[in-house]
Amino acid sequence: MTGRHSGLTLLLIAIVGFLTICPVIMLVFGSLSEGLTATGTFTLAKYIAAYTDPALLEVIWNTVIFVGGAASTATALALFLAYLNIRTDIPFKFIFGIISIIPMMIPHLLFSVSWVLLLNPSNGILNLILRQVFSLHHAPFNIYSLPGMVLVEGLLDLPIAYLIIAPAMASFDASLEESSRVCGASTGKTIFRITLPVLRPAILAAFILCIIRGLASFAVPSVIGMPGRIYVLATHLYQMVSTGFAADYGKAAALGMSVLLAAIILIYLYRYLTSASDRFVTIAGRGYKPTIIKLQRSRIPLFLILGFLSFILIILPVVVLFYTSLVPYSMVPSMRAFSMMGLKHWIEVLNDPISLLSLKNSLFLGVFGATIGIVLSIFVAYVIVKVRSRSAGVLESLSFLSFSFPGIVIGVGFMWFFVRTPLYATIWALLIGYIATYLPYGVRPLSSAFVQIHDHLEESSLVAGASYLTTLRRIVIPLLVPGIVSGWVLMATMFVRELSLSVVLSRPGTEVLAVQILRFSEDGLWGKLSALGIMMIGVSTLLVLLVNFIGRKFRPVDR
Amino acid sequence: MEIRIAGLRKHYASEGRIIKALDDVDLTIPSNQIFTLLGPSGCGKTTLLRSIVGLESPDAGEIRIGDEIVYSSARHISVPTEKRGLGMVFQTYAIWPHMNVYDNVAYPLQNRKVPKEEIRRRVAETLAFVQLEGFENRPATKLSGGQQQRVALARALVAQPRVILFDEPLSNLDAKLREETRKELKTFLYDLQITAVYVTHDRVEALALSDTIAVMRAGRIIEIGSPKKIYFDAESEFVADFIGRANLVKAVVREQLSGTTIVDSAIGRLACRKGNFSPDSHVTLCLRPEFISLTRGDHPGTNVVQGTIASMVFVGDAFEGEIRVGDQHLLARIEPETDLAVGDEVGFQVSPDHCLLVAG
Ligand SMILES: Nc1ncnc2c1ncn2[C@@H]1O[C@H](COP(=O)(O)OP(=O)(O)OP(=O)(O)O)[C@@H](O)[C@H]1O
Ligand SMILES: [Mg+2]
Repeated sequence: MTGRHSGLTLLLIAIVGFLTICPVIMLVFGSLSEGLTATGTFTLAKYIAAYTDPALLEVIWNTVIFVGGAASTATALALFLAYLNIRTDIPFKFIFGIISIIPMMIPHLLFSVSWVLLLNPSNGILNLILRQVFSLHHAPFNIYSLPGMVLVEGLLDLPIAYLIIAPAMASFDASLEESSRVCGASTGKTIFRITLPVLRPAILAAFILCIIRGLASFAVPSVIGMPGRIYVLATHLYQMVSTGFAADYGKAAALGMSVLLAAIILIYLYRYLTSASDRFVTIAGRGYKPTIIKLQRSRIPLFLILGFLSFILIILPVVVLFYTSLVPYSMVPSMRAFSMMGLKHWIEVLNDPISLLSLKNSLFLGVFGATIGIVLSIFVAYVIVKVRSRSAGVLESLSFLSFSFPGIVIGVGFMWFFVRTPLYATIWALLIGYIATYLPYGVRPLSSAFVQIHDHLEESSLVAGASYLTTLRRIVIPLLVPGIVSGWVLMATMFVRELSLSVVLSRPGTEVLAVQILRFSEDGLWGKLSALGIMMIGVSTLLVLLVNFIGRKFRPVDR
Repeated sequence: MEIRIAGLRKHYASEGRIIKALDDVDLTIPSNQIFTLLGPSGCGKTTLLRSIVGLESPDAGEIRIGDEIVYSSARHISVPTEKRGLGMVFQTYAIWPHMNVYDNVAYPLQNRKVPKEEIRRRVAETLAFVQLEGFENRPATKLSGGQQQRVALARALVAQPRVILFDEPLSNLDAKLREETRKELKTFLYDLQITAVYVTHDRVEALALSDTIAVMRAGRIIEIGSPKKIYFDAESEFVADFIGRANLVKAVVREQLSGTTIVDSAIGRLACRKGNFSPDSHVTLCLRPEFISLTRGDHPGTNVVQGTIASMVFVGDAFEGEIRVGDQHLLARIEPETDLAVGDEVGFQVSPDHCLLVAG
């Protein structure tokens, strides 16, 4: 059995290694070679060009502000929300559950667009309303600014930070705080001297993950930053590779190496922190009883803040998109606007061959890509959790690596690779790139599913006289179903909305939804964009519902 | 500092039922004593303790510490925990994992704005007192259970609180360490002459440690007294049964003599410790196994009970014997090197002082 497993492990290391290391190697080669390919003669010219670019300093400065600001915003908001949910008697706690799953529902690209629709200086709906109400000459807000980018990215990263901080807060031993109170510290002082320091590993982990996401983020910088001429590293790189005939992949790769390196260092720092946080787990004895803080007078104001946050996170983007897809051009909601509503944009989109093609491609990539990805994830997770050999550890590190990959950077690596194969400019190139980049999204839920299948469960089935295959069918697979479902849903929704890798790899004929939406946004075709965006949300939601339905049929016990 | 509690009430609503965690508790905790709250799990000990420190807010009643009213529902007073100036050792010790031993112990003094130099001196003193000199820089996560317990004690003591409270501080330790730590704790508290309120459901701990024991049941204090009184002279059957192992035998009072009360019981007529019962009232006779010393055969004299050994179980330091007397079974302690065996006719004589009568 061990022999077969080591064979399987090596095979998986080969596959995953190929998927994750290949583009990195191509990047290294490409950045060091002359010309447009990755195999030209050796030169350092690309590095020199990339790092002596006078524009770089400002780009780096913008990136630091953007990424740091967004990560701080997201972490602070997540802390605040987690504290409210877990430690206070705030009403309607189900809202927190919704906030933590919305990133699966509303793609970053559309979320950014909806903020542009609301707050752009020329015809943002909110700006128009405020101008009317206060008879202003200028729009009061300009989303095309660094603060605007920080705000939107911060809101986008909030759920992921919340998902890290909330469990840590929930397992916090309340007597640590109580003893601080007995020792003479007020509630506020206790929060700063005990609660926050004890939660520090979780807070740092959330912050670092947000930084990684911010570095890789392309939706906000392209939709909000570029129109305002605010370039961060992601859009700076995008400019190098997308400007038609003057594309300079080598220079992009040379600069991208630093981004990639930073992201990889951060992701391992993150992993170290999340594993080291065990150090801070204190014995929760029998006396453990988390005290719920009665908010009293601040209950209603705090709830209003929460309500406002969930409104702008969940409801507003969808409503704005819907509205924009129905009115002929940007206008303040009014009787006139409602009377002019129609399906013009929807009909145009449904008659636009490229939009239809992108819909078809994305649906294919979502369904087929996620299926292949999840099969690979099952094997990888199995080896990581159950085999636990040294090579399984290598596999784990490898499969975790792509979590840090900024799509734009790794996309260039993939492009160089695919150019040398017949796959270039086919949908398969996208499919492979997607699976490589999003493998951790499938491996993680499946690893936790495998952790729950204790060895004894399998062994007792074997002892009970079932064959190995029967054991797999009757015991292992049914217990895996929840993990398979959530992994598949995560991958499929990621694939349907994928943007940053696709903008590099997509070619005429292989358009996908997000790229098409970005084109509409660059051309200011907001109505068409919104119609296509709603379709995109519809496709994702449909896939989620469908798979949950199928998964329920396969549940071992009906619940 | 004396603690006076009057009419304290705390009800919880849980799954549609009302749980009376504290049911009109009236209690005076004398100053400079070790006062123990003892009772079965769920009887409200922790709730009472947490109400005293202010971590729980009662529904009604009043709590005074010394002359200060820290809680009064009638006067709408509720002094926040941090202003009550108490010390507490939690069941989990609640040692802050991100601080070292020194910072943990210095924390209460820092909150009271004590000058740095003095903090240093007092922390050193207190650590020396709990025998943790040299542990100042040890991270709190690198301490054994017993050491954590002592850090928690040092932290509770360092600011010289008016009262120190303990919630089952030994229950996380293993049996041997628990015994050692209990002795240590007793010495510490004895040296300090401080008011200590100690919660436990372990009767041995309560008997060994306390000056006064209050036994609780279902949110009420049902009996208060010295360990000896509680053990030998409990007023209720519940307390007598809870505080130690006891044979409980139904009996009827026959006669009150000058020093004893005579009863008729299922194990015969016995002279018992004097109790305030009228003749013919129904009582329970409580006989502790450790006061039954068996001898073989017939036994002359008064206050004698005869029976046969029904079973013997070796438990290490003795045999646990079961004696059949009529249709009553009595537990008895039998010396380990005995030559008695199952089926032997045995008898024992018991002093009236060890025959406790309780109501019911
Ligand atoms: N927050 C709460 N909500 C509902 N019921 C509670 C709550 N806290 C305590 N109770 C109930 O109040 C009663 C007294 O609880 P308390 O913790 O004071 O018991 P205890 O005597 O300390 O028990 P133990 O020896 O097990 O620690 C119990 O029945 C408990 O279930
Ligand atoms: Mg308790």
